[in-house]
Amino acid sequence: MYRYDEFDHRFVTERVAEFRDQVARRLTGALTEAEFKPLRLMNGLYLQLHAYMLRVAIPYGTLNAHQMRMLAHIAETWDKGYGHFTTRQNIQFNWPKLSDVPDILEALASVEMHAIQTSGNCIRNVTSDPLSGVAPDEIEDPRVTAEVLRQWSSLHPEFTFLGRKFKIAVTGSEHDRAAIKVHDIGLQILRNTAGEVGYRVLVGGGLGRTPMIGKVIRDFLPKADLLPYADAILRVYNLHGRRDNKYKARIKILVHETGIDSFRDQVEAEFATMDRAAVAVPEEELVRIAAYFAPPELAEKPEAPVEFERMKKLDPDFAQWVERNTCAHRVPGHAAATISLKPVGGVPGDATAEQMRVMADLAEMHSANELRITHEQNVVLPHVALGDLYKVYRGLAAIGLDAPNKGLVTDIIACPGLDYCALATARSIPVAQAISNRFAGNARQREIGPLSIKISGCINACGHHHIGHIGILGLDKAGVESYQITLGGESTEDAALGDRTGPGFGYDEVPSVIEKLVDTYLALRDSPRETFLQTYRRVGMEPFKEALYATAH
Amino acid sequence: MAKEFKPVVVTANDLIEGDSVFLGGCGWVRDIRMARVALSVDEAAVLEAAGIEGETGNMVVGPYLVEVALDRGHPYPILRREQIRAEGVPTIPVGLGALPAERRAA
Repeated sequence: MYRYDEFDHRFVTERVAEFRDQVARRLTGALTEAEFKPLRLMNGLYLQLHAYMLRVAIPYGTLNAHQMRMLAHIAETWDKGYGHFTTRQNIQFNWPKLSDVPDILEALASVEMHAIQTSGNCIRNVTSDPLSGVAPDEIEDPRVTAEVLRQWSSLHPEFTFLGRKFKIAVTGSEHDRAAIKVHDIGLQILRNTAGEVGYRVLVGGGLGRTPMIGKVIRDFLPKADLLPYADAILRVYNLHGRRDNKYKARIKILVHETGIDSFRDQVEAEFATMDRAAVAVPEEELVRIAAYFAPPELAEKPEAPVEFERMKKLDPDFAQWVERNTCAHRVPGHAAATISLKPVGGVPGDATAEQMRVMADLAEMHSANELRITHEQNVVLPHVALGDLYKVYRGLAAIGLDAPNKGLVTDIIACPGLDYCALATARSIPVAQAISNRFAGNARQREIGPLSIKISGCINACGHHHIGHIGILGLDKAGVESYQITLGGESTEDAALGDRTGPGFGYDEVPSVIEKLVDTYLALRDSPRETFLQTYRRVGMEPFKEALYATAH
Repeated sequence: MAKEFKPVVVTANDLIEGDSVFLGGCGWVRDIRMARVALSVDEAAVLEAAGIEGETGNMVVGPYLVEVALDRGHPYPILRREQIRAEGVPTIPVGLGALPAERRAA
């Protein structure tokens, strides 16, 4: 993974000192809140319902054991003993005091982390595939691209005060595990017919109150043109994006209102006049960055080690966990293991300091010292030898993170919702917990099969409900929480936005609503292998609508 | 037709702690039951101005009025969002377990 050089160290150290001074001046009143607010947002510090919230950047979701241990230390020392991993591969601490934040940032800087540009109208954390560098179907590790974009976008003099937030995601495979189609810019690494590696570039995707699937602006962009082309897109957005209305200020609105063809013409015109050499990454810098992402030296091992197979037979729970939570690694005899942060009835995406430390230990001992945060609020140990999986599993079981539920009905994505967030209109976490408890049994979950439920506590859609197979949107209806249901959303290369079923449901009704949807699916599927999403695509909304709204006769 | 006036209190976030506070008789308090209640439009204007003074006085951030109902004379927020906020903690146990709300006068 990327390691800071002297410039990076100096940069974050100076930034911490600058913010420490800004906080001191805020506390004396030398800075008003109006003056301080944009400064604290640029350092990832929000003010929520009950406390400040600090959002720490985890670039493209990758961190090492030392960094994870520091996050545990921060949780214990300056927070309430836990952190929350988010749908943008970051971590949030929900209870810091303003006066402690400079010390927290200093602690982060000591392990090459920061909270810069995790908030505000700027380019946010560039996210990527949690299986980067691991997946057998990968063309190239997308984190190299993500790191190039991170450096380019950090304190970019032209793009620090955009009309609105800007989010970029990169996938290195055709199978999109980074949800690039619902980002402001989505990049897919691919080869052209000549075998050259470059990017398919999408623009104008996004969720929130006007969800849109991104549109292709370039079928193939040579790698060398990445930064100049990104510059061109941002310049056109910065120039023409709306600033009169916060709810119409994202690039997706500009692309929609302009039309993709006209928008493309403007970007290409800007790109054509650009001094590309001045903007592009020098080749030697690209080689230097790429070297940080060289795969760890993993010896090829047997595909079915004897002890591994024996433990699967002896421990059926372990076998289930392997089947659901591990996936193929490009080096034979290894796997990427998903640590589900969705124990039944738990808070999706939360981890205590103790759990973080154990995950750090497991990464250090069994995963080449590396962890990944996924946009589905789980953690991946990317490089585990099959023969070590049982030790990993037992380690996770000891801290309650052994749920074998990746991609199943209890692997729910939920934003913090009205329990934390000042923008929320309804609670999301207890709804997720109630659904999780309703479907607690492992056998039942396996019977249902892959089913992604995503819950947002307001129309801003931080829970990504639009792209859930079942999406749940919590609203305020005359002072009472009301939940709208959508069906058929998807986050992959076949990205789709969910269809609304109809009128919303009360807080207490939601688990039963989900149960009705699941029962309808089970009754209609043409085989146990047909997933919920496949069934929905085949039969459409009507049977589900009828199950939810038909009155008893 | 003018909207019927409902009693209000002033709330804000404490500058350092970030938690929700309410303007009481002798300063900012964390227990909404101790908050000063405005029973008329004129009283609400006075209360709002006092809230703003709290921000300019560098004690709190983002003061605003919250409509309340009165339960044996004690204010209780009408909106669910404000009810949750007034509790000071999420509605669910978090982290290592339930996090008890710490109630103390300012």
